[in-house]
Amino acid sequence: MTKKVIIIGGGPAGMQTAASLLDLGIKPVIIEKSDRIGGKLNDWHQLFPTFTPAHEVLAKLKGSMKDARVITGTAVESIGKDGVSLSDGSTMEADAVVVASGFNLFRAELKEELGYTIYDNVYTTVDIEHMLNDGKVAMKDGRTPQRIAFLHCVGSRDEKVNQRHCSKVCCVTGVKQAMELKAMFPQSEVYNFYMDIRMFGPGYEEMYRRAQEEFNIHFVRGRISEASETIDRRVQIKAEDTLIGRPLKMTVDMLILIVGMTAGESNRRFAETKGVELQPSGFVAPADSFTLNTCSGVPNIFYAGTVTAPKNLGESINEGVAAAQQVARYLNRR
Amino acid sequence: MENIGTEILHYYDHFVVPFTVGVIVLFTVVIYKYVRWFVKLPGADKHLVRKGLFTRSTLGACVEVVSESLLHRKIFKVNPKLGYMHMSLAFGWFLLIAVGWVEASMHLTGIVPLHAHVFYKFFADPNADYGVSGQVLANVMDLLLLFVLSGVSLAWFKRMRSRAMGMKRATKHTAGDRIALFALWFIFPVRLLAESATSGLKGMESFLTGNIGHWMVSVFGVYNIEQFSGVMWWTYSVLLAVFFVSMPFSRYMHIFTEIPLIFLRRYRLRSTERHKTYDHFQIEACSRCGICIDPCQLQADAGITNVQSVYFLRDRRYHKLSGAVAENCFMCGRCETKCPVGIELNTLRLNSRTKMFDVPADGRYAYVRGMDTSKGEGKVGFFAGCMTLLNPKTLRAMEAIFKAAGEDVWWADKDGGVCCGRPLKLAGEVSAAAKMMEFNKSLFEKHNITTLVTSCPICLRVFREEYDLKGIEILHHSQYILRLMEQGRLSMEESDGRLFTYHDPCELGRGSGIYDEPRAVINAVGRLAEVSQNREEAFCCGSGLANISIDDRGQNKISAALADRFAETGAEEVVTACPLCKKAIARNTPLPVADIAEIVSARLGGRQQA
Repeated sequence: MTKKVIIIGGGPAGMQTAASLLDLGIKPVIIEKSDRIGGKLNDWHQLFPTFTPAHEVLAKLKGSMKDARVITGTAVESIGKDGVSLSDGSTMEADAVVVASGFNLFRAELKEELGYTIYDNVYTTVDIEHMLNDGKVAMKDGRTPQRIAFLHCVGSRDEKVNQRHCSKVCCVTGVKQAMELKAMFPQSEVYNFYMDIRMFGPGYEEMYRRAQEEFNIHFVRGRISEASETIDRRVQIKAEDTLIGRPLKMTVDMLILIVGMTAGESNRRFAETKGVELQPSGFVAPADSFTLNTCSGVPNIFYAGTVTAPKNLGESINEGVAAAQQVARYLNRR
Repeated sequence: MENIGTEILHYYDHFVVPFTVGVIVLFTVVIYKYVRWFVKLPGADKHLVRKGLFTRSTLGACVEVVSESLLHRKIFKVNPKLGYMHMSLAFGWFLLIAVGWVEASMHLTGIVPLHAHVFYKFFADPNADYGVSGQVLANVMDLLLLFVLSGVSLAWFKRMRSRAMGMKRATKHTAGDRIALFALWFIFPVRLLAESATSGLKGMESFLTGNIGHWMVSVFGVYNIEQFSGVMWWTYSVLLAVFFVSMPFSRYMHIFTEIPLIFLRRYRLRSTERHKTYDHFQIEACSRCGICIDPCQLQADAGITNVQSVYFLRDRRYHKLSGAVAENCFMCGRCETKCPVGIELNTLRLNSRTKMFDVPADGRYAYVRGMDTSKGEGKVGFFAGCMTLLNPKTLRAMEAIFKAAGEDVWWADKDGGVCCGRPLKLAGEVSAAAKMMEFNKSLFEKHNITTLVTSCPICLRVFREEYDLKGIEILHHSQYILRLMEQGRLSMEESDGRLFTYHDPCELGRGSGIYDEPRAVINAVGRLAEVSQNREEAFCCGSGLANISIDDRGQNKISAALADRFAETGAEEVVTACPLCKKAIARNTPLPVADIAEIVSARLGGRQQA
């Protein structure tokens, strides 16, 4: 008898879960709500800390799971004991479900005082990835930026917008993009405003040092409290340099908001199933954060990737492997 | 002399001693308190009393005393069952005393001491025939007793099951209150037994005490009932004494204190940001009915149960007020609108904070002197306030609206300015606030504006109530926008029928009485679907500035509770008219949230749009 496993989400974690299940002789089905697999990896340009093109990693993942069945353009509405119900109204039976539905990006509009979608030259890190992919980074009117400011922790560690958690990967993303823009515009001044820099991964701290020493990127410890637009559509920012203890005002050509990771919007729906619990941050809670990171409170529901917490790409992919192991163990025991 | 002595002794029994002592203690303490508070009132307040004494205010106060202190009309309006309970106790007891006085005066002979009125049945002559009037009075007294007993039984019931009385939560009481409450619960049942026993023994007729008494005597025999009646009269007297002595020290002080409060309020005395003895009249007029608990969102949504006005006033009265309790309140005013006694709950909390937290501000904020970052020329000034500056969409919308109307604007603080002062004031730092108020006032005067528009209800209130801006009309931007519309100065696109819902900001609605203008503006650009509790009953967004102690989690619980109420209306967008509310709602509601200015500027006729 063939066992059926549904993977919710076709991002890196879901793709790796599928690949590892295939290795174990189990044929999974990926249900992806957008019209293509790859998740947000599709949007990224180069990956920290190695500056590896994102499409290379995507291609590897796709290659390893090409025998899995993929249903795109379909969302999972709810998870039950015996399967899932789908946005097209149908239900699909399964022996096990792996939730790899990922995260959402923080909506920077909620920090209205920073002017995103209000002022011409306020961007998010996601916009910059898109521009880098398109091969042209420029101000709205096409001018080359002379002075660029990055703001860390937008939608992370910010009680005012209900995001208490650290999104973990944005620090290094901000450093990576600062280096990319500085390399693109060597004459420009690039500033990073931060409250503290958390370089947790291998090679990250070294990258941060290079950004300062080789790329001459300025790191200012202090958050930007508000932004306004000047007559020539540049952005005036107010901040405090907390190391010298003085407020500062600066006019920049581009203000780039390093947006954090918020809990996936489907988490709340999934948590209506008994045994799928949410953490206060809105991310789902694994059964045990040491030995059962990919397990839920329900024997046949598993987690992989950023559905449980912000993670970097490598960690998410590893969880795909781990979740597949847990699924196989569960199916063999039955 | 001897004659008088025997006459008084004629109406004497040892059991009247506790009652008499209780009455003496009660009135000594109450009168001492009132005289002290009145004497220490500021001269201006005393002047107000003198001015009002021989005017219609006094008459109005008399009417109000009857309707509130006796009939409890306002409690009736909030909660009919609770209203009946209070009315039967207060009005019923009052009538028992009044009619009892008449009865005793008519029937007892010679010099009748106070206690003989109260214990009339005990001292009544069983052999005298008082005719029809006597029978009527006896039955009326029974009826009144029954009326009071019905209230007492509701009070018992309320303690056991507050929900049944339409209150989710009843007040948690102090030890003194419990003693007084205990006495009150038993005073009238014991009186019933005492009067019945005596009626039975003396063969006096009446439908309640008479019949019960005859039945008691026939079942238990004369000897037993004689013993029993002695015990009951003693118990009745002791219970009255316990209640009277505990009254001035417990919540029952409100029974008397509401009366001078009503008069003083009619003479236009008000509490202020600084404490004065008038506050005592308000604080001790609180009956701790607990009607203020249910409207409090801190209690309903955030599980904070020790800070509500009833507890604040209690703690303040007994000098146990902690900063934590004084600070943990949005001053949203939801409880104040429901208070049946009409106590100025917000102002009292404010002056408690002033007392606790105000510090001299002599050396502070010297750096603002001479600062002027304002821009533009015009008779109309716009003050964004700190919070609107953090909502640049609102600011942009106002720019577009002013431009469309062709109005020259003096922008007070577009590039940053000085705070209006109200946040500091709400934190009790009135001296520091005064510095900012002084600064802004002279700035407004320097630029000769005639109209001051602000998009922040917090600023609006302090401008209106405390700035004393002579010759400057102060408008909330919703009022100003409506005026422009009515004058035909804004060319608007046709209403697109978009369905909005509106959140009444506390400071704008209950605080400033502005309910209709924002609604008129919304109806001009789309359709309005009201939330179930709006206007005076509107909920706080959870980010009110006045709460300086609640943490972010608590704030979020309160604003998250609003999300469903907005969703219920089926609206596509939430509109509000306060920058703080906007942010608080936006972070917990999936619907888009806009300031009233934004929805107007989005529909300005094409050519005029900025």
